[in-house]
Amino acid sequence: MSVRSFRPVIAVVTVAAAALSCYLVSLRVATERASLEDVETKIVLAQRDIRTLQTEIGTRGRLEQLERWNVKVLALSAPKADQFLDGGYQLARLARPSDEVHLDAPVVLASAPKPRPLPSLTDDDADVSSVATDTPHRADRRNDGPASMMHVASYGLAAGANAAAPRGSIVAPPTSSSKTVRNRASHDLPVATADAKGSTHHGPALTGSSREKATH
Amino acid sequence: MNAPTPALVGRPERLRLVGQRRQILAVVHQRLMFGMMVYAGIIAVIVLRLLWLAAFGDHVGRKGVLTTLVPPRGDIVDRDGQPLASSIDVWSIALQPLKVIGDKLQLARALARLMPEKDEATYFAMLRSNKPFFYLQRRASPQLVEAVNALGEPGVALERTPDRLYPQTSLAAHVIGYTDIDGHGVAGVERAFDKQLSDPTTRGQAITLSISSKVQQALEHELNAAMTEFSAIGAAGVVMDVHTGEIIAMTSLPSLNPNIAGQGSPEARFNRATLGVYELGSTFKPFTVGMAMDSGVVKSVGQIYNCPKEFHYGKVTVHDTHPFGRACSVAEIMKESSNIGTAQIALQVGAARQRQFLTKMGFLAPVQVELKERGRTLTPGNNWGDIATMTVGFGHGIAVTPLHLATGYATLFNGGVYHPATILKVDRSHSVGPAHRVFSEDTSYKSRALLRLVVAQGTGKKADAPGYRVGGKTGTAEKLQGGHYTSAAVVTTFAGVFPMDEPRYVVVAMLDDPKPTKDTYGFHTAGWNVAPVVSRTISRIAPMLGIRPDMNRDANMSEVLPFVHETKEH
Repeated sequence: MSVRSFRPVIAVVTVAAAALSCYLVSLRVATERASLEDVETKIVLAQRDIRTLQTEIGTRGRLEQLERWNVKVLALSAPKADQFLDGGYQLARLARPSDEVHLDAPVVLASAPKPRPLPSLTDDDADVSSVATDTPHRADRRNDGPASMMHVASYGLAAGANAAAPRGSIVAPPTSSSKTVRNRASHDLPVATADAKGSTHHGPALTGSSREKATH
Repeated sequence: MNAPTPALVGRPERLRLVGQRRQILAVVHQRLMFGMMVYAGIIAVIVLRLLWLAAFGDHVGRKGVLTTLVPPRGDIVDRDGQPLASSIDVWSIALQPLKVIGDKLQLARALARLMPEKDEATYFAMLRSNKPFFYLQRRASPQLVEAVNALGEPGVALERTPDRLYPQTSLAAHVIGYTDIDGHGVAGVERAFDKQLSDPTTRGQAITLSISSKVQQALEHELNAAMTEFSAIGAAGVVMDVHTGEIIAMTSLPSLNPNIAGQGSPEARFNRATLGVYELGSTFKPFTVGMAMDSGVVKSVGQIYNCPKEFHYGKVTVHDTHPFGRACSVAEIMKESSNIGTAQIALQVGAARQRQFLTKMGFLAPVQVELKERGRTLTPGNNWGDIATMTVGFGHGIAVTPLHLATGYATLFNGGVYHPATILKVDRSHSVGPAHRVFSEDTSYKSRALLRLVVAQGTGKKADAPGYRVGGKTGTAEKLQGGHYTSAAVVTTFAGVFPMDEPRYVVVAMLDDPKPTKDTYGFHTAGWNVAPVVSRTISRIAPMLGIRPDMNRDANMSEVLPFVHETKEH
C-alpha cells in the first residue's frame, strides 16, 4: 500500500537521477572538450612562436648576409669540375700514399720475430708489471699460424692501449687511493678506465710499456 | 415561469452595479491570465534555453577561432619552402590627441626624446590639433614600445598590427613584389595573387614559387658585381627550366628592399625582366637559323653563304664586327655572330614565316607569366618588309623582354615545344601550362651543337663554365638615343643553355649600358662583360640544380666542326 503510494515519487526520483547523470556526462564531455581546446590553443601559440623565431632566424641568416660574409671573410667559391668525384673509389684514389722509397728505413724481414717489449726501467712492483706487459705477447704466441710469422705494420695502437688500460687499473702500484679505484672499477667501467689512465702516471712501469706500444 | 422572482430583481441601479462589477472582474481575470501567460512564456523560454545550453551549449572558456593558425595574409615561399614573404605582428605607436590627459608640452618633449625623427614642436602641434589619430611609428622596436608605455599616457596608443615582412630583403624583390600600407599587393606576386593571399579560406596555404632562393642569390650577386664593375645603369637576369617553363630565378637591378618599398626609386621598382623591352641583338640569331632549318631553307649547318665585308640591300648596309670577306658556312655565321650571313638567311625565311614563328613563340604579345608587370613588345608591325625581316633576323628592330628571350631559348632547346613561363612551382597542384610545338625536334637537336660552338670557340668563350657544357649566344645591341642608334650606349645580353648535351636550364643575363673598362681592352660587347656573369653563375648554380660537371661529355660537335674554317689563331 505504502509502496504503491510512493511509486510516483520513486518515478520522479528515477527520472531526476537519470537526467542528472545525463547532465553529468555532458558536463564531463564539455570539460574534456575544454581541456582539448586549451591544448589546441597552446599548439597554435607554439606554432606562432615557432613562426616568429623562424622569421627571425631567416632574417638574420638571409642569403644576402651570408654572401656578404663570404665575400669579406670566407671567400668560398663554386667547386670546379675536377672537384666532383664519381664515387668512393675515386675518393680513395686521392688518399693513396705516394710510392716514395725511403732508403734509410729499416729492413724488416717477413719472418722476423716480433721484438720483445723492453723490460720496464724502474721496478717497484716487478712481478705484477711483467705479467701486465707479457700477457699480450703470450697471447700472440698462442695464436700459432702463418699470421704470427708476419710483422704487420699498423696503427693498431689505440686498441692496444685500450686493452692495457683496464689491466692497468688492476695492477696499479699501491697508492693511497688504489683501493678506491679498484672498488670503483667494479662498479663503473668508464670511470675506472679514466682513473686508470690517471693512475698510470704513478706507476712508471706501466708508463714505459704504454710508451713502447705507442712507438710500434 | 419567465416572470422575474422578486428576490433576484433588485433595484435597477444595483443591477447595473452588479453587471459592471462582473464585467470589470472578467476584464481583470482576462488581464491576469494574459500576464501570467506572458510570464510563463518567458520562463519557459529561459528554461528551454537553459536546457538547450546544458545539452548542446559551449562552456564558458571557449576560445573561439584560435584553433588553427591562419596568418592575416598568406605566406609566399620558394620552391624549397624557404619563406620569402610572411606576415608578422608588429607594434605600432599612434597618437590620439583628444585622449591626452597629461601636460601636452611635457608629452611632446618626451616623445621628441624617444622618437627623434620629428622635433618637439611638431609633436606639440600634433597634440594640439583636432585630428583624432596620428601614426607615430609602425614597426616600433620592443625597447621603444616599452619606453613609450612607461610614459603612461592614454593618448599614446600602442597596438599590435599585422605587417608584411620579407626576410630575404631585396632577394627576388621584383618577383615577390610588395604591399601598400593597407596590406594589398601592388607589385609582383603580391599583386598577381592578391585575392588568394588575402582570402581567409585560401590564405592558410602558402604560395609556393618556382624561385629557388639560392639560385636567385647567385644570379643577383653575379649580375650585381658585373653591373658595378662595368658601371651599367641596370641589369636583368632569368634562369628558367626549359622543360616546364618554371622561372628558377629572375632579377632586375637596381634592386629594392620590399620591406621599405616606398623608399625605392622608380628606377629600382621597375622590373626590367618582364616589363622592360629591349632590342636584344644577336641573341635572336639562333631563332633565325632555327626557323630556316625548320622551313627547309637551311638544310645543313654546312650550307654556304656569301659573306662579304659589307652587305648592301636597298638603302641599308649591314656590317659585321668580325667580317669574313669570303664564303662562310652557317656554323661560322653563328660562331662569329655574322649579321651579314644571318640577314641573308632571314631574307630566305621571309617576313611571313618569320612573323609566324615569332607569334608562336609569343614574341609579339606581352610575355605569358602570372605577374601583372608585363611590357608590350615593340615590333615592325605593319612595316614588316624585307629590311625589317633582315634586322629582326639579327635582333634589331624588335624589342622584347629578357623573359621573352628565356622562353624562346627554352622553346628552341627543349625539343621545340613552347611552354608559357610560370612563377609557380610545377607540382601536383600546378601543372605545366598549355604547350604547342614551334620547332621540330631535329632543329632543336642541331641547334645544340651550333650554340655550343659559339661558347667553345666563338664570341661567347668567356661564358664557358668548364664541365657544364654551356652553349649560348652573345648579343650586343646599340641603344636608341635621341632618335638614332649610337654605339656609345649598348645593351649586352647573353642567353645560355646548359648542359648542352641534354639541355635543362636557360640563363639569360642582360646589362643595360655597360661601359668599357681597362680589363675589357675598351670593348663593351656582350662577350666581354655579360658572358663572364653567365659563366660564374652557372658554375655556382649548376651543382645546386643537380647537374654534375663532366669534362668527358659534350654536345655532338661533329655536327658542326667540319664546317668551321680553321684559322691559325684559333
